[in-house]
Formats: sequence, C-alpha cells, structure tokens
Amino acid sequence: MKTLDKTELSKFLEGLRADFRVITPLQEGEDLLFGEFDSSKLAVNFTGRPIIPPKEYLFPQQERLFTFTAEEGDRVEVKAYLNEEKQVIWGIRPCDLCGIKTLDSIFLSNYVDTYYQARRENTILMGLNCNQACETGFCNSLQTGPFAKDSFDLIFTDLANRYLVEVGSKAGEAMIARRANLFTEASDEDKGEANRLEEKSKQGFKPLFDMKGVDNKLAQAWDDRLWAEESDSCILCGGCNFVCPTCHCFNIEDIKAGRESERVRCWDSCQLGGFTQMAAENTRQTQGERLRQRIYHKFSYTPAKYDGAIGCSGCGRCIEVCPSNIDITHILERVIKR
Amino acid sequence: MRENIYAPSLAIIKKVRDEAEGVKTFTLEFKDLAIRKAFDYRPGQFGEVTIFGTGEAPISITSSPVNKGYLELCVAEVGRVTRALHLKQEGEVIGVRGPYGNGFPFNEVEGKDILFVAGGIGLAPLRSLINQMFTERGKFGKLSILYGARYPGLLCFKDDLKRWAGLENSQVLLTVDVADDSWQGNIGVVGSLLAKIEVNLENTVAFVCGPPIMIHFVILDLLKMGFKEDRIITTMERRMECGLGKCGHCNIGVKYVCQDGPVFSYQELRELGENV
Repeated sequence: MKTLDKTELSKFLEGLRADFRVITPLQEGEDLLFGEFDSSKLAVNFTGRPIIPPKEYLFPQQERLFTFTAEEGDRVEVKAYLNEEKQVIWGIRPCDLCGIKTLDSIFLSNYVDTYYQARRENTILMGLNCNQACETGFCNSLQTGPFAKDSFDLIFTDLANRYLVEVGSKAGEAMIARRANLFTEASDEDKGEANRLEEKSKQGFKPLFDMKGVDNKLAQAWDDRLWAEESDSCILCGGCNFVCPTCHCFNIEDIKAGRESERVRCWDSCQLGGFTQMAAENTRQTQGERLRQRIYHKFSYTPAKYDGAIGCSGCGRCIEVCPSNIDITHILERVIKR
Repeated sequence: MRENIYAPSLAIIKKVRDEAEGVKTFTLEFKDLAIRKAFDYRPGQFGEVTIFGTGEAPISITSSPVNKGYLELCVAEVGRVTRALHLKQEGEVIGVRGPYGNGFPFNEVEGKDILFVAGGIGLAPLRSLINQMFTERGKFGKLSILYGARYPGLLCFKDDLKRWAGLENSQVLLTVDVADDSWQGNIGVVGSLLAKIEVNLENTVAFVCGPPIMIHFVILDLLKMGFKEDRIITTMERRMECGLGKCGHCNIGVKYVCQDGPVFSYQELRELGENV
C-alpha cells in the first residue's frame, strides 16, 4: 500500500500518456464526464460519479465491427476492426468498477466477445473510493460501494492532501513501478484513516433495503400490478438503460454506402417497444412487461446465469436521468415489502 | 489472431427454388473449403444470415446434417433482411455464421414413435430432423407427419411430403384452413388431423413447429389427448441480434432462446415464465 501526494496526481497521469490513452473524470462546464485526460479540467474533488459511466471505453455506444466491400463477381472483402489501444481509466467509482465486473462476466464467458475482449485486455482500471454518499446512489444497500473490494488494478482513497493507493493486480503494481519516486509507503495511520472514512461514508447513505432474498421476492411479484403502475409514466426514452453501467444489450446494424457497407453494433434499450419486435410479431407488448424485464434481468436472471454477478451496481443514474421519476429503489422497496 | 465470433463466412447461393407463395429455398455453399467441411450442425439449429449492407437475421437450417457440403435455408419474405435475400440470384454471395442454438433431441428419442405437427414454414426446421430420422430409420418407430397451411399455395416441401408418405412405417396427412379448386384433401386446422391418426401415447414424442397461435392450439390438443408435457417438443421465435447470448433481445427468464433454445419441451416452456 502506497500514498501519492495529491499534487503529484497530474504528473503521474501525464507520465502514463506516453504509453496509454488516459481517461479521467473531467469538469466540462457544469457536467462531470469521463474524457481524455486534461490537467486543466481534471476533476478530483467531486462527490458522486460522472453522469455517464466509463462503460463506453470498453463497450462504445456505437462500434464498427466490420466493413464489407463488394468486389467483382462473388467476392466480398470482410474486414474486422478491433481496438487494441492501451488505455488507463482513472477515477472510476466503486459502482462503476462493479459495472465493469458484470460486463466482464457477460462478455468474457461462454462465447468470448472479441471486441470487448480486445479493449478490456488493454485497459487498466484505477478506482477512486467514495468518501461521501451521493444523492441517488444506493451502492451501500447492494454492497457494491462506497469502497471497492475488488475489480480494480489500483484503487485510490482521498485522504485530504494525499491518496492512499492500494494494488489490486500485477498490472496495477507495474503502474506504480513506472513512477515509483512519486509514491511513498503507506503508514498504519493512513490505513486507519481510510477505514474511518469508509465507515463515515457508509453512514451517509439512507438505509434503504436489505437485498437478501430479493430474488425470492421477485419470484412472487411476477403478476403484481406494480409493474403496470410503476411504468405508467414511462415516456420510452431509454435513458435508464443508456446511463447504466451494467446494461449490455445491443443491436447489430448494417449501414450501406455504395459498394461498401459498415456493420456496427450500438446500445439498445429493453424499455423501447422495438426491442422485441420481429417481422411479424412483438413479444413484449406493454410497458409493464418491459419494466419487469429490466428489473428481473438485473436482480434475478443475471445473478443466476453468471454465478452471482450483480446486475445493478447501485449507481443511481437511472433515477437521476428519468424524466418521469421512475425510481428503481422505490420499485425494489415495493417488491420487498409485498 | 483472435477468433471473431461475429464474423460471417461467405457462402454462394448455388440454387434458388420457389417453395411456396412468398417462400424460397436457398442452397448455399461456403466459399472456404475448410469451413464447408467443418460446418456441422444438428437439426433445429439456426444460422445468422448476412445480406451485406442490409443486415443479419436468424434463419433455421432446413437441410439435414446427412447432406454434406451444402446448406439449405427455407425463407419466407417477411422482414427487411428476408426481403433482401429473396432478391438474391444464383451465384450471388451472402454471409452465414453459426450454427447456433440447442437443436432438436435426436438420440434422446431413439426407439420412440415420432409425431410431427407442422404449420406453414414451420416445416422447415422439422424437415431437417425428419430427413435425418429417415436416414437413420432403424432407430425410430412410426413416423407421422401432420402438416397444414392457411391455403394450398403456402404448403412447402411438396416433393419431400410425397417421398415421406411412400416410405415404410410412415404416414403424411395434409390439411389447409381454406381450400381452393385444386384441393381435394382435408380442410381444417392442423390440429384437426390429430383425430385421424392412432397414437401410442406410451411411446410417442411430438414435435410441434409453426406460427405461435398454431403451436398454442396444437399443444392444447396434444395435452387433451394425454401427452405428457415433457413429451411435447416445440420451438420458440424471438428477436435475436447476436445468436450468442450477449445482445439480450431473446432473453426469457434465465434462458436465452438463441443459446438455450430455440427448442424447448412444453414442460421447459412453462418453467421459463413470461406467459409464453
């Protein structure tokens, strides 16, 4: 365990740029967003998390998979595009680390997703623990935060004038070794201070619900009228899915331009009516069914299919983004209290 | 090199046959000899078919694994990709990846009488299984094929139906919902044919494939006859993008139709949830 003086953070990140694309939280006007490191915009003293998770650096909103070029006769040239650029993402909150862990379970098991794997294997994750509860986050209820326990290469804890830096992997260790002179061995006092901050942070969260047994509760809530009621105000914008660090559903589309066409995949949303639309039939007709799918997929199906993987990181973005005030914590509370 | 799970392999359309109204059967051959040899599948599996520049669609394989070296796809013109496929001519190239899905049980139903109930283009995936069963004829008892369509012009695989009817220990019964002047046979929904055959319930497995409404009523008929839920095998159709359990569209409960299906017993269907 090391410490890094806060004033040295920019120097450390700047030094990585020789070999990596460096992504950090940036203050862009009033918005906090992940973007390419820029010391003048680097956000370090922020509460909560950037409005969009860092998922897009591993699983972009739109990603080119192939180009197809029609040649003479029966020939078509198929060219694949894999992104293997080395990147470091710094400042990832524990909820978003959890999101990446879930994406790993989905994309890197069974059939390994070539495109996700190419990016993921070339990505170093540097987390930043949350010393303060954020407004809509409920990581404490899901035990995905406010302090990360795994799924990082390095994790930073803000100790006012310095960071406590814990190593989570060999790759993380190598990052420190690149600029060993910037780091100091952490003292017992530093560790004690981090533990105190963790406890204090946890107390800042509303005690919401106990997730134990939510799966059983869901099993009994299938036909409940709550799905129709809670989804009644939905305007089908898909925002809840698009800001979610664990949502992974996508479409594959071809875009044609003359003899050449491009195959892309782009995020899709289970809350949109077209999600289950086939040529002749739509298999989910009501918004209640769609909301139910979103909740069951996160809290029942994903944990069952991927060995306990958590389908919801508790980041609270879907609550913040929803123009109709549909609140996942309120829905879960209704399910649990039935 | 990473293996790219989304990469389509080039396949040449060797033959296009008008199968029925709005339905064509395409015979495909992979351009790459190694892929042609390696592409092995089970009846009931499907491929993701690419029309370059238009997109992909999941299409079940209607040829049988005993037919080496080529693939047949029977396709109704119903959506964007299938419309583009219908415009393709012999000699043109399309893309295929797969095979995906679990496929029909085969060894598991050895020694049984088999009852096939198909509606319209639902015969396409069953044809793959039926032809394999006729090839390995000794492994199965009586093979009964009940097939219906809305009207005579929509009946597929007429040559196969004729051939199957003439084979030993088999029967083929046809019906249409609405007849025309050419039609001499049975009139009524396909389920009405069940009353015309003798079934040894103890030793019969039923395979049902067709449009959802037909599957629904045929299963009710079979249950009424006394079929056990695990002796009724059917298929599910869902929106799919990847075929690999990633894109999320075909998810029902903990299952992904593209990987865990599309073949399910009625018992499994009931356990899936989502009022299927």
